[in-house]
Amino acid sequence: MDICFLTACELARKIRDEKLASADIFQSFSKRVLEYDKNINSFVECYDKPIYETKAGSSELCGVPIAIKNNICIEGREINCCSNILKGHVSAYDATVIKKIKSAGLNILGTTNMDEFAFGSSTETSAYGITCNPWDITRVPGGSSGGSAAAVAARLVPFALGSDTGGSIRQPASFCGVVGFKPSYGRVSRFGLVAFGSSLDQIGTLTRDFSDCADLLNIISGPDGFDATLADVKVPDFRQYLRKDFSGLTAGVPIEFFEEGINPQVKNAVEEAINLLKDNRVRIKPISLPHTKYSIATYYIIASSEASSNLQRFDGIRYGLRVASNNLDDIYKKTRQAGFGDEAKRRIFLGTYSLSSGYYDAYYMRALKVRRLIQEDFKNVFDDVDVIITPTSPTTAFKVGEKSDPLSMYLSDIYTISTNLAGLPAVSLPCGFDDQGLPIGMQFIGKSFHEGDIIRLGYSYQNLTEYNRKAPVLNYE
Amino acid sequence: MNNEFETVIGLEVHVQLKTKSKIFCACSTEFACAPNTNICPICSAYPGVLPLFNKKVLELAVRTAVVLNCSVNDKIYFERKNYFYPDLPKAYQISQYKKPLGENGWLEISSGKKIGITRAHLEEDAGKLVHKQGYSLVDLNRTGIPLLEIVSEPDISDPQEAFDYLTYLKLILQYIEVSDCDMEKGFLRCDANISTRKKGEKQLGVKVELKNMNSFRGVRDALFYEEKRQREVLSSGGKIFQETRLWDVDKSKTIVMRTKEEAHDYRYFPEPDLLDFYVCNELIDAQLEFIPELPLSARSRLLGDYGLSEKDIDVLIANKSMLRFYEDVYNKADDKRKLTNWFLGPFLEQINNLPKGFSDVTISVDNFVKIVNYFCAGKINNVAAKKVLSESLTTDKDPDEIIKEKNLLQISGTNELECVVDRVISENSAAVGEYLNGADKAMQFLIGQVMKETKGKANPQVSRALIEEKIKK
Repeated sequence: MDICFLTACELARKIRDEKLASADIFQSFSKRVLEYDKNINSFVECYDKPIYETKAGSSELCGVPIAIKNNICIEGREINCCSNILKGHVSAYDATVIKKIKSAGLNILGTTNMDEFAFGSSTETSAYGITCNPWDITRVPGGSSGGSAAAVAARLVPFALGSDTGGSIRQPASFCGVVGFKPSYGRVSRFGLVAFGSSLDQIGTLTRDFSDCADLLNIISGPDGFDATLADVKVPDFRQYLRKDFSGLTAGVPIEFFEEGINPQVKNAVEEAINLLKDNRVRIKPISLPHTKYSIATYYIIASSEASSNLQRFDGIRYGLRVASNNLDDIYKKTRQAGFGDEAKRRIFLGTYSLSSGYYDAYYMRALKVRRLIQEDFKNVFDDVDVIITPTSPTTAFKVGEKSDPLSMYLSDIYTISTNLAGLPAVSLPCGFDDQGLPIGMQFIGKSFHEGDIIRLGYSYQNLTEYNRKAPVLNYE
Repeated sequence: MNNEFETVIGLEVHVQLKTKSKIFCACSTEFACAPNTNICPICSAYPGVLPLFNKKVLELAVRTAVVLNCSVNDKIYFERKNYFYPDLPKAYQISQYKKPLGENGWLEISSGKKIGITRAHLEEDAGKLVHKQGYSLVDLNRTGIPLLEIVSEPDISDPQEAFDYLTYLKLILQYIEVSDCDMEKGFLRCDANISTRKKGEKQLGVKVELKNMNSFRGVRDALFYEEKRQREVLSSGGKIFQETRLWDVDKSKTIVMRTKEEAHDYRYFPEPDLLDFYVCNELIDAQLEFIPELPLSARSRLLGDYGLSEKDIDVLIANKSMLRFYEDVYNKADDKRKLTNWFLGPFLEQINNLPKGFSDVTISVDNFVKIVNYFCAGKINNVAAKKVLSESLTTDKDPDEIIKEKNLLQISGTNELECVVDRVISENSAAVGEYLNGADKAMQFLIGQVMKETKGKANPQVSRALIEEKIKK
């Protein structure tokens, strides 16, 4: 038995039954990272020993290793968002999710690679080099949580945390064949997550299946007294939705998501999955989300506007990179010139422009209005259906360097972005492979704070299929 | 000179609200701590932190808005004001722009004129830069201290009126206990907008913003300077440019800081990290409880029964707790007139010598009244009464005890006093002669000698009578 091929729940059970020791599990994964990650580059930093002592029995998952996207603060550890401007910055505090993970007794194995400040859909904009897709290392793992998705897919860690602003958990999950879950906005505290688009960002999970997903969500969800945007709603025990039961579920399929620009193999796989659900008595209804065609434009104005403001604190004064000068304006200019990569600069420009006086009404203000229309679309549809089924991304993993123009890169999040604009929970799960053997992902979108519905549907679907059990073969020599 | 012009002034006042912790984190707001000791990852803007709104700030701001007759918006939200400066660690200030907490109010100043209040909005303070030779240091203790910015309408027509407005605004804010308003500590700051137009013209002249005044007098001086400058420019056919000018207190002049072209684009947008807040009627009603009688109504009340001059009243209303203390001792004292004289005289004199003035006073109403009543009844004389007060002022020590310890009971009509008077008369025959020749001054001298002999315990009136009686015999 290879320890590293067990899921988090399976590992936890073996720890509880005293068949495995958490220290040995940690060492096995640490060794595997050492062996295979030189080809994948999913980790920014992999710790050789646990960074704190876990408390025995403090949760179901006690003793299991986890990887953390490098934009979530861990006290005493480097947090750099894979940007040169923050290289060497050690966090002074734990993010809320890290506090919760520590008290649940999980072992942090390391931090994972990402697009710089989560700006990207391929993990190619990282200052720590690109991450490769473990299914085909000439291809990208998706992004921005590409490191977390690739590490989980390659069995370098049982599960990982990511963050999702426009699809940054779901799209890489789809490219790497794992389960990527973005909870409702306001479900998981953002305190300690380095902000990208504050009204869109949400921390979520990358796991191999829905059992691990439910357990990890149980740990990270809920109030902390530090995030004012957390919703005042009761957090259910997500495990209760882990039952093979399709009864009473109505799924909507938006026609707009299957029209232009979708790869036929992706389309077929998702339609096949929908048919399988139909066979299992899930009611399927065609629906329309007419404003989603504006979601990319809307998203890039809102997210970039917020990002341009959020990234201003990286000014070379208190932490991170500083390019010295005897003139204050030059310190700002030279530091930010040297510290930010091209995509970060592009978004800062875009956001600054959208918020500028004279342009504000035409861009930012109008984007807020369209955002409301997109939210209305979902609200109307959810009167009739419980969940929405769509492809996660129009294509499977593309080649490294293939998408050189920003717009075609932005389009790879076309199906995921609208849920962030509406604050809805959504998950990507594997639903097949293309003719190159690359994973295909399907997305379930739920009503706000109804994560249970998509967990139930996902769990039941995975019990009928094998797609999530297949692992990439790592022979790269 | 230049009588054809009139001046239009509007003031922007920043007031530090008196809370224990900062507006968006739990750090202390204590003043004058060692640099960068009242800071945390949140107020120093470390990556990943989020703001949390201190609800106490909302209460104080609502109280102020109500007192300034503003309409309070029921839904309030914050916006980001973006600009780079080393004292602003997030590179944006969380503020209010489109929809301030309070709008359309007014403040009546002592002349009876109502000055319009355009808006009162909440924001966080920035840190402080300490400039050294060749480098600067950043102190973030002040970062995130809650501020209320109170913007007046351009209703103020001269520098003295601006001074009066500030004086009265400060007084009101102290009365409702939302701020200490200590300008030296930066708890209250004021920028001024001033423009000049021809008399009778409707349209406002080009506005100049004045900054860097650190006292009310400085505001008045800067406005006087700028009023004169603008009138001179205009009378000689020149133009006023829209700009920001700094008051240089040493040179007593304003200098250009930045022109309109250099003005910032702050790129305001709604703060996504904070949700909307709703100001309910219960919150407003609860704040009404904290609003006491305001200085101007106290003023007109005192003008009636107390027999005080307007000047005395202004002294009294300048401090709410002192005014309350005055009214309490007034009501309990036997001789109201003497009480008032004694309060405004010796008492105020002693207070002025205390480091924090009236705030240092701990004497109880009863003990204060006891001293004044003893004095009025002739039990102790003026000198002794001052001694007792001085000892009890900040200790509230029982006057009876002090009188006993120091043996201060007044000697009047006793054999002891007669013996002293006899001795003074016989030892100062020259002065006696002068008095008999009509020099009233000589009597003062003789009484003084009696006081000296009795170590201040003699009753001066009784002494005088005794001396006269004995000389004329």
